[in-house]
Amino acid sequence: MDAVPEVLGRSALVSLTATAIALALGVPVGTWLALGRRRGRGVLATAVNTGMAIPTVVVGLVVAMLLWRSGPLGDLELIYTLRGMIIAQVLIAGPLVAGITMAGLQALPPELPDQLRALGANTPQLVVRLWIEARVPLLAAAMAGFGHAISEVGSATIVGGNIHGQTQVMTTSIVEQVGKGDFQDALVYAGILLALAFTINAVLTSVQQRAAAWAQS
Amino acid sequence: MLAIDQLDLEAGERLAVLGPNGAGKTTLLRLLAGLEAPTTGRVEIDGEPIAGADLELRRRVGYATQRPGLLATTVVRNVELPLRWRGLDGAARRAAALAALERLNIASLADRKALSLSGGEAQRVSLARALAIEPQLLLLDEPAAGLDAEVRRAFFDDLERALGDRATTVVHVSHRAEETLRLADSVAVLTGGAIRQLSDPASVVRQPADVTVARLIGYENVLSARIDGSRQVLIDGAPCGVIATTGPGAATLAAWATAVHVVTPDATPLRATVERISQGPGRWELTLVGSQTLHAHLRFDQHPPSVGDLVGVRIDSTHAVVIRTRPSAPPP
Repeated sequence: MDAVPEVLGRSALVSLTATAIALALGVPVGTWLALGRRRGRGVLATAVNTGMAIPTVVVGLVVAMLLWRSGPLGDLELIYTLRGMIIAQVLIAGPLVAGITMAGLQALPPELPDQLRALGANTPQLVVRLWIEARVPLLAAAMAGFGHAISEVGSATIVGGNIHGQTQVMTTSIVEQVGKGDFQDALVYAGILLALAFTINAVLTSVQQRAAAWAQS
Repeated sequence: MLAIDQLDLEAGERLAVLGPNGAGKTTLLRLLAGLEAPTTGRVEIDGEPIAGADLELRRRVGYATQRPGLLATTVVRNVELPLRWRGLDGAARRAAALAALERLNIASLADRKALSLSGGEAQRVSLARALAIEPQLLLLDEPAAGLDAEVRRAFFDDLERALGDRATTVVHVSHRAEETLRLADSVAVLTGGAIRQLSDPASVVRQPADVTVARLIGYENVLSARIDGSRQVLIDGAPCGVIATTGPGAATLAAWATAVHVVTPDATPLRATVERISQGPGRWELTLVGSQTLHAHLRFDQHPPSVGDLVGVRIDSTHAVVIRTRPSAPPP
């Protein structure tokens, strides 16, 4: 078994990177779903909402089949790598980020986009201002995306393979310890994982609640 | 849907657009602001089409909407925002924003959180934000709609002062005649997407083009009438005291409640029964019922009749207008 700090660092690296990419992709998609007027929004919104509920093992299975050496993306040699795990976690966290972004922007006063346009905003200025207005739900999207990524075990096991020294992360370690009947170590890992999740969420929650309190006070 | 053949606005003109809910007032403003494009025809500012225009043209327009649409930041930052988008540096933006707040007597609110303001304060901030950019064209979409009467009056006092003698062209839409008329050089009455009357405020008030306009202007009595051969205006077949300037035919009589005089039943052939008496601001308000309902206002020093009394009614022609009923088109 790897040393705890090494596994913890790997978990944080994979999940934070996946969350950052999920935000970079999910926030624009959610924004387009909330504000766009083109056809196809309904279908994509349904896909996003469905994506929020897909079991992580299913995502892991699909990603593994795509990245498998004989699969369509096998030449990229991403199976059993941290990059492959990040791809799977982006697919898990992305729909959550997009869905919460869409809901957050749709909860703003419906006339606000037109009011900002009438004040002279161009499209980038408009979108940035709406993101600032929806900062509380956007931070919730970040927290939900990170929480989903760091806690999932299905895709990490299937795509990463729990290879010691390479792709073992906290959740796959816990599964391994339980499989060996070593509940004490499993509990230690679980406690450390919880502490990591708590620390990162505490920071995000603090920022979110300050933003909410500032706007309303 | 709007169906306007042509509507021209001179630079510096203040146009009031009066119409009921659903008349197309907001659509007209959205077209003028470039937020919507007409399906046919065009909207131009200084000869340039506003729909699809570059940002520079759209940024000459200020727009204050029914809902203030303030953002979750301080008041002064709300007012600064359109100036930031126009590339003003920090000091110039702050000075212009504070000046706009000063013009509306709300400079003291500058550092308050915008979402904590009262309705009247929020509407003033919204207006200051629209004025801060020194717009060439200012669009006001019932900016005081959600305010109570007293706050609304104060709001329009401040608006009038803020506009002062500026050369800003203003289009103000509302369904309240008293608000639209006080700021206007000209009035367009809009119903069902079409302009029913376009003239100066005095003409719209004194000579409404039709029954719809008369009701929108606020005439309390809009009555079916007939003009006889001697040009007397008859209500339910009885002369009411008004003499028409046109020949015989069907007509509508629009009369202010102050023009309806209550007299003894034997003094006039037009009679009605008092259905309701209530106290209004500085007056008695009477509802009189014959075959049509009339509304009369009496001063407090005038002794009102009692509910159920039969009274005579005479209408003062100086506060009433006869609108000829257009003959309906013959069947094809």
